[in-house]
Amino acid sequence: MSSNIPDDTDATPCAYTDYREGESTADLPATGADATGLAADVWDALYGIEDPEMPISIVDLGLIYGVSVDDGDVTVDMTLTYSGCPARDMLTAEVEAAVTAVDGVEDIELRLVWSPEWTVEMVTERGKDDLREFGLSI
Amino acid sequence: MAASLENPDELDERERTALKTLLKRLADDEFVLAERYTEWQVRAPSLESDLALANNAQDELGHARLWYDVLGDVGLEERDLVYERDPGDFRHSTLVELPFEEGDWADAVLRSYLYDVAEDLRLEALVDSTHPKIADRVGKIRSEEEYHLEHAQNWLERLADGGEGRERLQDALDRLFPYAFTLFEPCAPPRGANEASGDEPRAVDPDVEDDIVDLGLRDATLEEMGEEWLSIVVPYLESLDLELPVDGRADDGADEFEFEVTEAMLPEERGRDGTHTDAWFDLYDEFTHTYRELERTETTRIMDKPE
Repeated sequence: MSSNIPDDTDATPCAYTDYREGESTADLPATGADATGLAADVWDALYGIEDPEMPISIVDLGLIYGVSVDDGDVTVDMTLTYSGCPARDMLTAEVEAAVTAVDGVEDIELRLVWSPEWTVEMVTERGKDDLREFGLSI
Repeated sequence: MAASLENPDELDERERTALKTLLKRLADDEFVLAERYTEWQVRAPSLESDLALANNAQDELGHARLWYDVLGDVGLEERDLVYERDPGDFRHSTLVELPFEEGDWADAVLRSYLYDVAEDLRLEALVDSTHPKIADRVGKIRSEEEYHLEHAQNWLERLADGGEGRERLQDALDRLFPYAFTLFEPCAPPRGANEASGDEPRAVDPDVEDDIVDLGLRDATLEEMGEEWLSIVVPYLESLDLELPVDGRADDGADEFEFEVTEAMLPEERGRDGTHTDAWFDLYDEFTHTYRELERTETTRIMDKPE
């Protein structure tokens, strides 16, 4: 009766998909763990922004590559998981708004960067937990 | 050679023209091919192929945007580059603008194959570009392109297996191959960029293509890429029992290829030089229709920029 139910041990991944893990990059993911002062406040604001499709902060997803602060001028380097990301303008606008709202920030320059390319390796441990909780296998 | 061409304010006229010409080749190809691919949405032969091609179209739009973004540094915005651009200023190869005949899936698959092999070669030639923004984008784009070639080859092999599919492939090959050569044709510089161009179609300035390589923006010539392209696509298509209209083999070597394109091998309209088929002007009218009808003067954003 149960003979049609596949045994877990027989499960094979889709033959047409290459399940690459991607390369990890020494300085990434950047999380602002060592940031102080205004930079720390900017990282906090960035942590508050969620990916539009999954319940994970964009920082834990590994989209933020760096934050630098020069007086009130903030520069954020950010990437996207996919070059054709339909939420690009929505996300960049949200980042600009959230950072601008931080007390002490006068100006923000958001730079979209594409190298190193984002891979799953950029997701933080906490981010991986969030994604697992959401039902993704990672 | 310039050490870095990153700062747009430090570019001289020659560098600026070379950069613009290269980026328009890259971006316009991707943008126009994506426009054509989307015509297959809800019409492809299976649900999987429908989703695959729609997804490839989205990839190509994303890549077009990555290249157009770099043109933003030299003062050209999306509006100037797409919606308010003179259709005669587009520099894509005419391979990507040709319409599909209704239901001719073999055309879509073969076109994608011919194009994606060429794209892979030109991306490879951009890995060490002297323009950092170009070099930085290549890895991302290549990682997304890999699947396109896999998809095209997978379908080519199925279609070539016999019967009507093979015939349709052969027809598509006879029709498309001359247009595929235009992928490697030299560009006329952007309008107004150079007096030599005279803003007239066909006024190709070979110096611009030389400059692209001399400045290290791309490290292979069109001819070198064309030769490598032939050495990949010819044996592969022959292995599927397809007959090549021209095989590009050098006289004495069985697998030595020479990219010697004569006028007779090329179609009348080549795209790179600003000449286009009528189908292009129809397609242009179509994708700019809503923009014009709504009397837009700028591109629509999902959200307003924050103050």
